[in-house]
Amino acid sequence: MKNFNLAVIASLLVLAVSPIMYSLNANAADKETVNSVATLRDATPIDVQKEPNRIPKVVNKDIKQGRNYPMQPPVIPHTTRSYEVNKYNNKCMSCHSRHRTEKSQAPMVSVTHYMNRDGNFLAEISPRRYFCNQCHVTQLDAEPLVENTFTDMHSLMKQKTANAKEH
Amino acid sequence: MKKLLMIGWKTLMKPSGYYSLGALVIGGFVAGVIFWGGFNTALEFTNTEEFCISCHSMESNSYEELKTTIHFSNRSGVRATCPDCHVPHKWSNKIAAKIRASKDVWGWVFGTVNTREKFLVHRRSLAENEWRRLKANDSLECRNCHNFDYMDFTEQSDRAAYQHSTALASGEKTCIDCHKGIAHQLPDMKGVEGW
Amino acid sequence: MTINRREFIKANAIAAAAAVAGVSVPAIASNLITSSDITKLKWDKAPCRFCGTGCSVNVGVMDGKVVATHGDIKSPVNKGLNCVKGYFLSKIMYGKDRLTTPLLRMTNGKYDKEGEFAPVSWDQAFDVMAEKAKETLKKDGPTAVGMFGSGQWTVQEGYAAVKLMKAGFRSNNIDPNARHCMASAVGGFMRTFGIDEPMGCYDDLEAADAFVLWGSNMAEMHPILWTRLTDRRLSSPHVKVAVLSTFEHRSFDLADNGMIFTPQTDLAILNYIAHYIISTGRVNKDFVSKHTNFRLGETDIGYGLRPEHPLEQAAKNNGKTAGSSTPIDFEEYAKFVSTYTVEYTSKLSGVPEHKLEALAELYADPKIKVTSFWTMGFNQHTRGVWANNLVYNIHLLTGKISTPGNSPFSLTGQPSACGTAREVGTFSHRLPADMVVANPKHRAIAEKIWDLPEGTIPPKPGYHAVLQNRMLKDGKLNFYWVQCNNNMQAAANINEEAYPGYRNPKNFIVVSDPYPTVTAQAADLILPTAMWVEKEGVYGNAERRTQSWYQMVEAPTGAKSDLWQLVEFSKRFAIEDVWPEELIAKKPEVRGKTLYDVLYKDSSVGKFSLDEVPEDRLNDDARDFGFYIQKGLFEEYATFGRGHAHDLAPYDRYHKERGLRWPVVNGKETKWRFKEGSDPYVKAGSGWDFYGHKDGRARIFALPYEPPAESPDEEYDLWLSTGRVLEHWHSGSMTQRVPELYKAMPDALVYMHPDDAKSRNMRRGDLVKLISRRGEVQTRVETRGRNKPPIGLVYMPWFDASRLVNKVTLDATDPLSKQTDFKKCAIKIVKV
Repeated sequence: MKNFNLAVIASLLVLAVSPIMYSLNANAADKETVNSVATLRDATPIDVQKEPNRIPKVVNKDIKQGRNYPMQPPVIPHTTRSYEVNKYNNKCMSCHSRHRTEKSQAPMVSVTHYMNRDGNFLAEISPRRYFCNQCHVTQLDAEPLVENTFTDMHSLMKQKTANAKEH
Repeated sequence: MKKLLMIGWKTLMKPSGYYSLGALVIGGFVAGVIFWGGFNTALEFTNTEEFCISCHSMESNSYEELKTTIHFSNRSGVRATCPDCHVPHKWSNKIAAKIRASKDVWGWVFGTVNTREKFLVHRRSLAENEWRRLKANDSLECRNCHNFDYMDFTEQSDRAAYQHSTALASGEKTCIDCHKGIAHQLPDMKGVEGW
Repeated sequence: MTINRREFIKANAIAAAAAVAGVSVPAIASNLITSSDITKLKWDKAPCRFCGTGCSVNVGVMDGKVVATHGDIKSPVNKGLNCVKGYFLSKIMYGKDRLTTPLLRMTNGKYDKEGEFAPVSWDQAFDVMAEKAKETLKKDGPTAVGMFGSGQWTVQEGYAAVKLMKAGFRSNNIDPNARHCMASAVGGFMRTFGIDEPMGCYDDLEAADAFVLWGSNMAEMHPILWTRLTDRRLSSPHVKVAVLSTFEHRSFDLADNGMIFTPQTDLAILNYIAHYIISTGRVNKDFVSKHTNFRLGETDIGYGLRPEHPLEQAAKNNGKTAGSSTPIDFEEYAKFVSTYTVEYTSKLSGVPEHKLEALAELYADPKIKVTSFWTMGFNQHTRGVWANNLVYNIHLLTGKISTPGNSPFSLTGQPSACGTAREVGTFSHRLPADMVVANPKHRAIAEKIWDLPEGTIPPKPGYHAVLQNRMLKDGKLNFYWVQCNNNMQAAANINEEAYPGYRNPKNFIVVSDPYPTVTAQAADLILPTAMWVEKEGVYGNAERRTQSWYQMVEAPTGAKSDLWQLVEFSKRFAIEDVWPEELIAKKPEVRGKTLYDVLYKDSSVGKFSLDEVPEDRLNDDARDFGFYIQKGLFEEYATFGRGHAHDLAPYDRYHKERGLRWPVVNGKETKWRFKEGSDPYVKAGSGWDFYGHKDGRARIFALPYEPPAESPDEEYDLWLSTGRVLEHWHSGSMTQRVPELYKAMPDALVYMHPDDAKSRNMRRGDLVKLISRRGEVQTRVETRGRNKPPIGLVYMPWFDASRLVNKVTLDATDPLSKQTDFKKCAIKIVKV
């Protein structure tokens, strides 16, 4: 019932301000507005098409990007154009394998990558991890269409620590 | 046998009874120019991309692979053609390369690499030839365009700037040591240093 | 205690920032939190939300939020691995535009088809919906009511929906989006084996000596199975991989024999292989004589277009007989395939002869254990059922089937295309456990289990997915509910069919989704929906593995699961609203009850009490209805298959296991069906038993190559193939909202051969229009990268909501499976 009342109030409110909302819709400035319809189309009508953006460039700054959680595969901070990973070669490993990192100063692949299906360590990268690009991707210089409100566990923990100390 | 050679030699050495010396000198010069010009024109024709890819194996393997690389399509439109990387600019080296390349004609006649599969079988040795040549001449054909003296490291990515200002600058490494497989796909790299 | 200047400044800065933010920070806090009370995460297992591989993931929860996910080390499917999408599952529920209130198109506070969306309460939403449904039922009867569901529904949701539609509203107009994905595979299984779903399992990946990929780009679409295949290929050098496609893609990186063929000629290649096996004397005669028989299929069956289309007018057998066949013998079959010589097939397909021979030899050599994988290349094909039949032919001729490593294996696109769409039977012609509405015995079984009067379920198959859009446009389907899919982006030819259909003033369209999708945009009412671990459910993957998960977090306030929506909506209908008097008279005790009572609460669905829901577990749906509804739906559904070769384990066991492969008999799962020793349903002493058909034999079909519905010509001079990409799943409604995945692949580009671009005076990045006879779409040119199409063919993925490539595609379908061919139509490309 509580939901119902809230919704009624909300709907009345929306009706009252709807002309404003429409104008916002029209210039597609309401990305922030939760519930704006067809966010990924920038609210463009289905029978129309917005002009596509230019092809963005690959971010090539070599600056490590933070991970959302420890198990997340890191994204690739450089271009990989023409990098061959096929049954003959693995270009990525010419920098990221254990015996190449001293020369390349690139991060070594995680130790999990040496484990086979049964969890035993092999002397080289496990063939099941051979195709790096199944988990690791480059990032293009594009602005996400929708914000993501995922919370990092660290910020939750910090909050809890703060609360614990307070009491 | 010896006698026969001697007769031939004497005939050649015998002065002409019909033509004046002047005519002979001018005629010889003109013939030489025509011959030389023709030879060079023909030679230069074999140094065009058009000639290279007139061979099916080159067109469908090497050239097809080149099309998606940065040496074919890039920011400024400066494009490398086959001879830019594969034919030395210096005349004597060029002739040497051509003599080596005459082996390719043999390969073409007998279909050594007339399918993709056969091409892949030979790819490692084909690539090694080029790596060896470029290693020996300190990546001369790379440096014809990529001159170390004019590289602006601040315009390069950090990784590239670091390697170029250390290993390349000291002469410890040459271009081909790191930049393999930049214009065509790589062969099986098992055992290659740095892989 | 000393503190240096730098630290002092830093500490002050933090304190100042904290003061602004309104949090107090302890005077000196360690930079590392170590207290186990605080760092502890609650971990639980769930199947991945994305593809049909069915990886198990561990989901980490803290303070009611999913904060981490990783591959489940205990799962036999993925053994601790995920693909890039799977690793980012944690973020799919947290797009800022999650819907939290129903939205109705209104003008001046009242529903108006031409109005703008405005928030309403769930009560108001259901009021309008029920009113529209009742109005439609009264005016045009059950055939004007329809539902479009999904292979992403949980098993319980699909089952609840089938019951609501087929028994409640007495309409067979329910179909899943799995129609776009799996229908041809189903058709192939039913025709060849008489029973649906693969006989083999993923264990084949570690046992095979050769893999053949037929129209499947596993490297991008089934990455975890690809890791297993790669593992096998690279760690056992004798293993060979053959890849067939109409363009070069990432799976070619591992190929020993990569083949690009002209679209549609896979049919000829398959027949050539059969011919090769026969002509080189490698038929497994003992197997063939004991376990198979031969049939000649009907030909010239049309292209599933609208009846007035010239191609349908020209087709001879596009009616009911399209799927019929007549018995023939081995000699007749051998003669039939003998026209597919290597010369003819090579010329037709463009694949060099030596490559075709190397491929055929993998199948013919009795010492090579061969596994064939296929997905949309076969299934999205106007002869998709045929393609499925033809690949079974070559496995049957050689007896390479149902043993480890010998496996014709149809892969699945959706997480529960098998579990929900196929096994539950959410199709317009189906009932649970491979039964069909057209069969009176099957209807009787369903009516008995559902405790309903005879004649409740209508005998005529309803509108399938493609027909639904056509019927919406024609104004024959007027009340339409879409759940758990994004068909305005996914269906072919939306320009001419779906869009005018949804916006037809006669129709009322409801769309349930967590996010405002393109389909939601085209709707009249949008219902905010809970997703994945915000509810409890069961999925079934491509190897018959049934997996369950518990609810782990609360849905955003206002969002409700598809299950809750279906069941809650059923409360709005008295039996008298939906059933005719003569049906009610057969079972008078239903009088005065609601559909909710009859279908759910008072049926066997309602018999499990809340006490069975573990106390420490969330379960909003069960607690809302007052009984363990997920268990009730599952157990009632399971009675359909138990004892009929579709046995499922008791519900509670699935919460303890990383899934089990059905049939589960005496507590044991089945790895290879139809083979004595591994399948408990096989008759002792038979060796193999294809018990789906009464004679215990699988069928080998003689079927020819027939041309595609549309091929390039002078004006529309290019083939267009559409499909997916690694980073986005299906229409991207979840993955496009994960910033890392979005930035990895933000836009759908058109992949072209550099020479095709050059000859049109185009280059990478150019803005172009793809134009077909049906519509046009704008995008930019890509001439390099992961896909390398041959000259004459272009590829464009469909995940991009801002560039709806399905405005261009052709809604030609396989006349047998009704599945659309998204892989080939003719277009031209012009510069904008």
